[in-house]
Amino acid sequence: MWRAQPVRTAVIGTALVVFLVSAVVPVVYLLVTALTGPAPAYKTVLLDVRQLGLLYNTTLLGVGAAVFATAIGVPLGIALARVSLHRKSLVRLALSAPALLPPYVVGLAWVYLGSSRGIVSALTGRNVLSDWTYGPSGAILVLGLVFYPLSMLSTEVAMRRIDGRLEEAALTVAPPSRVLWRVTLPLAAPGILAAALVIFVLAVSEFGVPGLLRVRVYTTEVFTAFASLFDFARATLLALPLLALSSVVAGIAVLLVGEPLATMRRSTGAVPLVFDAWRRIARIVLVAVVVVALGLPIAILLREALGARSVSAVVGGSGRAILNSLVLSSAGATVVVAACIWLGYARVRAGRRLGQVADVILVVLFAVPSTIVGIGLIGVWNRPGLLGAVYATDAMFLLAYLARFLPIATLIVAAGTRHVPLSHEEAAAVSGAGWPRTMARIVLPQIRLGIAAAWVITFVLAFGELGVSILVAPPGESTLPIRIYTIIANTPPSTVASLALLQGLVIVAPLTVFAAAASRREGR
Amino acid sequence: MTRELLPGARFWSATTIGAALLLISACGGSQSAVDAPRSVTVYVSTDRVFSEPVLREYQRQSGVTVNAVYDTEETKSTGLANRLIAETNRPLADVFWSNEPVRTLVLKARRVLAPYRSPNAQGIPDALRDPEGYWTGFSARMRVIAYNTTLVPAEQAPRSVLDLADPKWNGQAAIADPRFGSTSFHVAALYTVLGDDKADEFFRRLRANRVRVVDGNSVVRDLVVRGEVKVGLTDTDDVNVALVAGERIGMVLPDRDGMGVPMMPNLVSLVAKGPHPDEGRRLIDYLLSADVEEQLAQSEAAQIPLHPGVPGPKNMPPIDTFKPMTLDFAKAASRVEDVTNRLATILGL
Repeated sequence: MWRAQPVRTAVIGTALVVFLVSAVVPVVYLLVTALTGPAPAYKTVLLDVRQLGLLYNTTLLGVGAAVFATAIGVPLGIALARVSLHRKSLVRLALSAPALLPPYVVGLAWVYLGSSRGIVSALTGRNVLSDWTYGPSGAILVLGLVFYPLSMLSTEVAMRRIDGRLEEAALTVAPPSRVLWRVTLPLAAPGILAAALVIFVLAVSEFGVPGLLRVRVYTTEVFTAFASLFDFARATLLALPLLALSSVVAGIAVLLVGEPLATMRRSTGAVPLVFDAWRRIARIVLVAVVVVALGLPIAILLREALGARSVSAVVGGSGRAILNSLVLSSAGATVVVAACIWLGYARVRAGRRLGQVADVILVVLFAVPSTIVGIGLIGVWNRPGLLGAVYATDAMFLLAYLARFLPIATLIVAAGTRHVPLSHEEAAAVSGAGWPRTMARIVLPQIRLGIAAAWVITFVLAFGELGVSILVAPPGESTLPIRIYTIIANTPPSTVASLALLQGLVIVAPLTVFAAAASRREGR
Repeated sequence: MTRELLPGARFWSATTIGAALLLISACGGSQSAVDAPRSVTVYVSTDRVFSEPVLREYQRQSGVTVNAVYDTEETKSTGLANRLIAETNRPLADVFWSNEPVRTLVLKARRVLAPYRSPNAQGIPDALRDPEGYWTGFSARMRVIAYNTTLVPAEQAPRSVLDLADPKWNGQAAIADPRFGSTSFHVAALYTVLGDDKADEFFRRLRANRVRVVDGNSVVRDLVVRGEVKVGLTDTDDVNVALVAGERIGMVLPDRDGMGVPMMPNLVSLVAKGPHPDEGRRLIDYLLSADVEEQLAQSEAAQIPLHPGVPGPKNMPPIDTFKPMTLDFAKAASRVEDVTNRLATILGL
């Protein structure tokens, strides 16, 4: 199609090399080390009867969080896409804000609320919630409330891409509710299911919340193998069932989602179905969700934080860590996006089977526990010569973010790129445009939203990243999460709450500015 | 129609800014700090709030740049010990400062450490120094039973760790997860002293007594302060933080006349093949000085000096007023893996 094929090969090949070096090699290195080292007792580790309990708990956590988050997120996404709301960007930011809070922080807030001496017990005089708080139900609640924005945003994006003429045609013969159920939602289903898959993987690879709420899952077992037994091989082997579970779920999702239907092309500009008749209900639901998912945890943390005695000294000493986090997260998101654009494009333009295999691999890599990634990075990069020159610099943070988040960012960009018809590129080629020009002038502008989403999500995830960062941070350097978690070891809960709010505020502040700017453009 | 959040020019401007950030961050970092003239890198597992002032003071006095890597609470991340093991062939650290023996002894066994006998170790009891010189203890904490002074009169507080299995504390006792940190050392010590059968029986009774197993020692303390439990097993520095804050908490040195009170010194070690061994030795000398012990004793850590003649912390009994648990650290540390697996089953962890 294009004369400049070598350019495309070089660009995508470079992105692929970055992906392999940063995300694949460290994991493979540790796996090979675990499998070829001194006898790691496969049977003892993998056939332990406790494995069944771990499998059940992990699956329950993942499915429960995905279902709960989807149940909240889908109606909100429909409202954002199909109901006219004032200052929608700010509304979207408020609804998305729970995803900006570290899951552990939100879990902490719910413990303050629901434990045996929590707020609910104090108000009611009875311990009604602590059994429910500590366990899979509490973990599902917390993770569902943190991750529902992913479902919401994915639903909104999917619905905005629906050809409005289909809905208009259906409206001539059916009421809006039936059109929503029989036409709109099925067309948006691939995006909804894709988000549910991501939430599942995020939930099963999460450690902080299950650890806090005492749910025994694979990540907590891997953690124990590292932290109490210092057994790298055992920890790596314990991660295998988690990766197997993720690959099974990813495979099922890929088969269900499949390639998009022919009708899932970009909206032609026809006014989509607008459920303005449901505006009042939508507003009530939006407010309720913001109150429960965002307002309540923040209020609880504020209540705890008000008791802090010496927050100013702690907060004041965090200036450098805050700056580090902002710079490194921004740089990390930029590096990740720079690579995932080409990987996402390559995945979409690959053959069907190859693309499905790639999806499964990306999901599985995203599920790898952060400690395994960190230990693997040390093993690969802490060597004499050029590799060692990179080690002990801030470049290790960027490698850590690539390893952890390049897979998810690639999936996000691929989801957006799917909606760029190949015919656009073919038309450009026929007109004499080379591949670089076609990408710059036709493809990239159409996937700007996906690129922006990938950048924001990567920024948020990178900002809160702890598991790998603490292993590869150069001595003397610190990010805000590292600083917070190294301080809270012996500080009162009030100070912990203060620092948790600080972390949330630092993430939200720049994004609020961004949303306000976007909202002002909406109003023009 | 797709909403245009980022018009073309702004999008590329943002990309350019991002690329600039990338360059700034990648070119930055502490490679220069690690290689700075007169610098030392120390990995610290002792709580940051206590250790950071000590290291800052050393930097101020000596003019040596101290690059510290601090650890999180043991249940929050897999910790610096794993990082040191992973970096064995090419360590960045010169010194490892730990707050309990298990990690240090694991590192010794993995050949991560190098022997160094500091002249400032004179006066520290032999039992709290490695005979081969791989580690030296200083500024000790003790394992104690904390109790809520509003709910439990002092005379009714448990006197032995084994009392926590008494039915009168059913559902009212808490311990930190015994797979991690100082609690892992304590339970390994109990197995070493009591023997497997007695220790297994004790923990079974503890479980039947609905003991609460929580994230860490500071969480145990917080539960006791809030009255969510009446008693809990924790460390002296955790209790002291609450005492200084005027909270309603008291503490008992368990088994002070029986099997002895478990003592856990800080341990400092030289890392083998570290980039700055001379500066590492100088830092170790400083940490083992009487001045540092006095500093830690007077801080909220309230750690008990091991050098004779150094004033102890206000809220803590002098070391010569109770019987410490007689313990072979190496033997106790060697039991940790086995004990961890046993307790995972017995306590259902």
